[in-house]
Amino acid sequence: MLITCPYCGPRDLSEFTYQGDGNRQRPAPNSQDLDAWNAYVYDRQNPAGDHNEIWQHSGGCRIHIRVVRNTLTHAISSAVPVRGHHGGKA
Amino acid sequence: MSPRRTEQGGRIDRARTIRFTFDGAAYSGHPGDTLASALLANGVSLFGRSFKYHRPRGVLAAGVDEPNALVTILRGEAREPNIPATMVEIHDGLVAESQNRFPSLSWDVSAVNQLAGPLISGGFYYKTFMGPIIGPLKGTRFWMVCERFIRRAAGLGRAGTVPDKARYERMNAFCDVLVVGAGPAGLTAAKAAAEKGARVILADLEPRLGGSANWSGEVIDGKPAAEWAAAAVNDLRAVDNVRLLPRTTVWGYYDGNTLAALERVSDHKQHPAKGEPRHRQWTIRAKTVVLATGALERPLVFPGNDRPGVMLAGAAERYANEFGVLPGQKVAVFTNNDSAYRAAHALKQAGAAIVAIIDVRADISADMLDFAGKAETEMLPGHAVVAAEGGRKLTGIKVQRFDAASGTVSGEPRSVAVDCLLMSGGWSPAIHLASQAGAKAEWNEALQAFLPPKPTQKWTGAGAFTGAFSTDEAIEQGHAAGLAACSAGRDHFDAPAIEAAPGAPGSEPVFEIQVTGKSFVDFQHDVTAEDVRLAHREGFVSVEHLKRYTTLGMATDQGKTSNVPGLAIMAAALGKAIPQVGTTRFRPPYSAVSIGSLAGERHGDLKPERLTPMHDWHIANGATMYSAGLWWRPQIYGHAGETVEQAYVRETKGTRGTAGIVDVSTLGKIAVQGPDAAELLDRVYTNMFSTLAVGKARYGLMLREDGLAFDDGTTWRLGEQDFLMTTTTANAGKVMQHLEYFLDVIWPELKVTITSVTDQWAGAAIGGPNARAILAACVEGTAVDNAALPFMGIVHGEIGGVPVMICRLSFSGEMAFEVYCGADWGTHVWETLMEVGKPFGLVPYGLEALGTMRIEKGHVTGAEIDGRTTARDLHLDWMLSKKKPFVGSAMMDREGLVAADRLQLVGIVSLDNRPLNGGAHIVEQLDEENPHGSIGHITACCYSPSLGKYIALALVEGGKARHGSRAFTSDPLRGRFGPVEIVSHHFFDPEGSRMHG
Amino acid sequence: MARSIEIERLSPLAQVYRAGPHGNFEDGVGVALSEPRPGSIVQLAAWPGEERRMIDAIRTVTGLALPDGAGGGVSEGGKAAFGFAPGKFTVVDEKDGLAAAFAKAITPAIGTVTDLSHGRTVIRIEGPEAEWVLAKFFAIDFSLAAFPLGAGRSTTHHDVFAQIQRTGPDRFDVHVFRSFARSFWTALCHGSEEVGYEVA
Repeated sequence: MLITCPYCGPRDLSEFTYQGDGNRQRPAPNSQDLDAWNAYVYDRQNPAGDHNEIWQHSGGCRIHIRVVRNTLTHAISSAVPVRGHHGGKA
Repeated sequence: MSPRRTEQGGRIDRARTIRFTFDGAAYSGHPGDTLASALLANGVSLFGRSFKYHRPRGVLAAGVDEPNALVTILRGEAREPNIPATMVEIHDGLVAESQNRFPSLSWDVSAVNQLAGPLISGGFYYKTFMGPIIGPLKGTRFWMVCERFIRRAAGLGRAGTVPDKARYERMNAFCDVLVVGAGPAGLTAAKAAAEKGARVILADLEPRLGGSANWSGEVIDGKPAAEWAAAAVNDLRAVDNVRLLPRTTVWGYYDGNTLAALERVSDHKQHPAKGEPRHRQWTIRAKTVVLATGALERPLVFPGNDRPGVMLAGAAERYANEFGVLPGQKVAVFTNNDSAYRAAHALKQAGAAIVAIIDVRADISADMLDFAGKAETEMLPGHAVVAAEGGRKLTGIKVQRFDAASGTVSGEPRSVAVDCLLMSGGWSPAIHLASQAGAKAEWNEALQAFLPPKPTQKWTGAGAFTGAFSTDEAIEQGHAAGLAACSAGRDHFDAPAIEAAPGAPGSEPVFEIQVTGKSFVDFQHDVTAEDVRLAHREGFVSVEHLKRYTTLGMATDQGKTSNVPGLAIMAAALGKAIPQVGTTRFRPPYSAVSIGSLAGERHGDLKPERLTPMHDWHIANGATMYSAGLWWRPQIYGHAGETVEQAYVRETKGTRGTAGIVDVSTLGKIAVQGPDAAELLDRVYTNMFSTLAVGKARYGLMLREDGLAFDDGTTWRLGEQDFLMTTTTANAGKVMQHLEYFLDVIWPELKVTITSVTDQWAGAAIGGPNARAILAACVEGTAVDNAALPFMGIVHGEIGGVPVMICRLSFSGEMAFEVYCGADWGTHVWETLMEVGKPFGLVPYGLEALGTMRIEKGHVTGAEIDGRTTARDLHLDWMLSKKKPFVGSAMMDREGLVAADRLQLVGIVSLDNRPLNGGAHIVEQLDEENPHGSIGHITACCYSPSLGKYIALALVEGGKARHGSRAFTSDPLRGRFGPVEIVSHHFFDPEGSRMHG
Repeated sequence: MARSIEIERLSPLAQVYRAGPHGNFEDGVGVALSEPRPGSIVQLAAWPGEERRMIDAIRTVTGLALPDGAGGGVSEGGKAAFGFAPGKFTVVDEKDGLAAAFAKAITPAIGTVTDLSHGRTVIRIEGPEAEWVLAKFFAIDFSLAAFPLGAGRSTTHHDVFAQIQRTGPDRFDVHVFRSFARSFWTALCHGSEEVGYEVA
């Protein structure tokens, strides 16, 4: 599988680390809502189809990438940086 | 000249002779020969014994699809089994052996299995070896008893046991167009794409590029096809943007148009060049792929179709035309399609007598009859072969009238004396890679073949792969595919003129002549047509189940010849059409791949490893090195005659008595810089860091989001916005990722840079009563007394002319300091410290002493922070700030994480004065016969020189409440049982008076 | 600490660095391997939006004009710079003291300066077979079209992180973690035997 890193271009899967379901919402740091924390830490979607995922290009530029990957075909329809940088351009 | 070698023709060099051995006998051949063609030329007909029945087997095919003629190649001591003789290029000194025979190929004792045939039918293993329901051999135990005997009798070649010294490499490649298969279609595609400037890789599993052009006998552009192909190859070789990969099997098609290919770089050479690998494993990322992988001929299924001398018609044509070898002198042909007529013609021209052409079809086209006439042969339309006879070589066949529509035979069988029978059951496009790439193959009724699916990845097909079996179409499609692959529009194409033999594509839907006798479907796994029907009678309806139950298509040839006939027989048994039954999805690899090539360079001396800056000093000074992850660290600096325990006891006593020094360069070090650095640390550590003064360090603990302990270490504030975080050696990478995740994903507003600086700094921890005196004697530019360097203080100075950074902190429990300097100066500083420390009794110590001192102090490491323990479990709750939220703070107080019966950190003292074992259980009552009732386990253990006892750290239910109580260690695995006392984990100097000085 | 240190720096390759031709060199060597041992290796990180000022600072301190774009870089006169991640740059100078110079030029408002002069080892591979040999280790496209002169790439060989800069048409400087340097050098030499190599 190849993932197109927004900075480095298409790279081999072996350069990336899966960093979890991209749909998770972290509660506010002060939140005491245990259900919300529980959902954030443990609940995962498992769709048959497009899935919103976070990958880190750990073997490259190390940025985190929001990837939309089809779990049935492995086709990747989108891969954008989680942060606001764009290719090191000024 | 050999008995079966033709006088002329073929792509072999008759002027040169190559000598090799097969089963100890010397043979000769010529450059261009495969082991199969050379042995056939020498009149060898028997190549091996079959898998289950030990039936004599010859050569069925001429290429990668060969199921029978598997040999073992010996290279010195190393042996590689199960190589098709058709894929072995001969070279001087080649040593090959036949397989699955004892004591010899021609006289094999297990051939008696043939008589036991009915007993070894499909599902035999499952049925026979699912043992009794009760008793000592119940269930699969019976199989386990019998398996070793069966494996010896049934099976393929024997694997070698000596290390394989050959060199294997991996290679990465990128291209615009990967063309798989260098026949007329592939060559044309590569040319078209290359002319448009595309970066092209052309791979073919044969040594000689050209594919069918090498044996078709056709004329292309006025030249013999083989010459046309050679010229095309030369043209491609001359351009920069094309890489030719002969002897390269593209065996896997993966996501993202990533393909795996095995190049056999030097198997064909007696002596590989210096540094040349044996195999090279290519990973090719292609923008597009042209699949021009051709087609594979199918056998017909009839009794005796596995006899040596029965061969695929296309293979025989190839032996005659490409290798100048006649597989027989008196040849019959048995076919359900037109293609075999061309083979008959080729063999006739090469000098064989074609005794008869037996065609299941009653109506033969005029073209084919004309062909038969030229071959001067007897035509038997509407006939079938019902038996092939002979032992080690074919002596004759029996022929009977046959009705293709009903599949029945009639009339009297008639014997025909032949020494070779060519068969053709039609052609199956080699769609394996397309199938691997995704989507299902589609059955084409007219061609009686599965055609490639619609692409779900970026590939186009060309030639016989698409079901276009003529060279005309192949070249036309190849050109179009080459252009399409580089997104170029169609242009004017002067297709070369082709003189080819006539013949219609497609075949009569006859796969089996169903008469009494052993008719083989899968030659390599000895699966017969009757086995397939038996599986059906026993209720197997899915092809996937059928495949696994009968092992059809599961041999090393992956069912290249057997897949479609097997399906057809299954479909007939089910009373369904082939497309309703469906086909199995092809999976990688297309053909066998050497394990060495997958391992590549990642073994032995070439495995990546990490060395500290002082590595060579450790080695030179007698250290035994110990691998910690990828790092190598000194375990002990043993003296002559010392045991490991004696060495670490001496090193520990030396440190606590005078002073010791240990290499701590492996500790993870992360630079945390920027205006929000302190804020980040407050959020990820359980305790506060924003309050830390510049020039001071603090011990910190991190939790995971779920509230469990994650990692610990000290973090030093070097500047207002500049921190140096240390982590445990094992968790350095994980902590780095943890911080990067939060910065990138959760708190992008924080301005913090995270950089791994582990390798920037050499680190030495020096501790013991004399440690400060040693530093005072060598550090320049700063004082190191209590005022200048209090506990957790940091100073900058120089040692031996090199800038150093010193932090006073202690893991050993002694007055201790960590000295950091630029890594390239690490050995210099270390040697200076050793030199200055000599009169102070400074000893270097390794991981064992380090571990011993930390156990005595009750400090935790990864053995205790094991992903299941909380800060409270480890008595680190004093570090949980109540003033701020931090990662894990919301989840750490959940019911289960604060329960009273959780495993908690305790100390253990051995009461029988015997060593304890890591991983051993702690129990309240000892029961050696029936160990049970674990209340926890030991995480780390040692002999404590300070206490004079064997001690351990352990995680025990309700830990603290058990202090002072008796328990037992229970370690049935190692047979260690005995009384222990549960105590506080602070064994030694609990007040910390030594480190505070 | 601007004054230079008299004590010689010890290369992690010292024990395994054997000058001369090796491997299949009889018909000429395919690559030359060397260790340039720059005095300074510095990593710079700009806050989002500050990339331009960072690039300006690089020009002020080193005189190197960094091109725009991901992985853009330049190499001339004993100095080199390239982008290796969004807003992040590696700068190399054969002389000491680069980190101190950048520390003055780059204010906290622009970004951070991290000295890695000891933490990274630069291994140079040069010659007609340089792309071929590197392709054995790294799954990136080394062709000139995909990897232009001066550009930098971040990638991995198994566990060995590497930043690679193309410093010539057939010359690459591979930056690896110091602790991995000997192991990687050994593997690189092994992989170069086929084409013949010379250790300069």
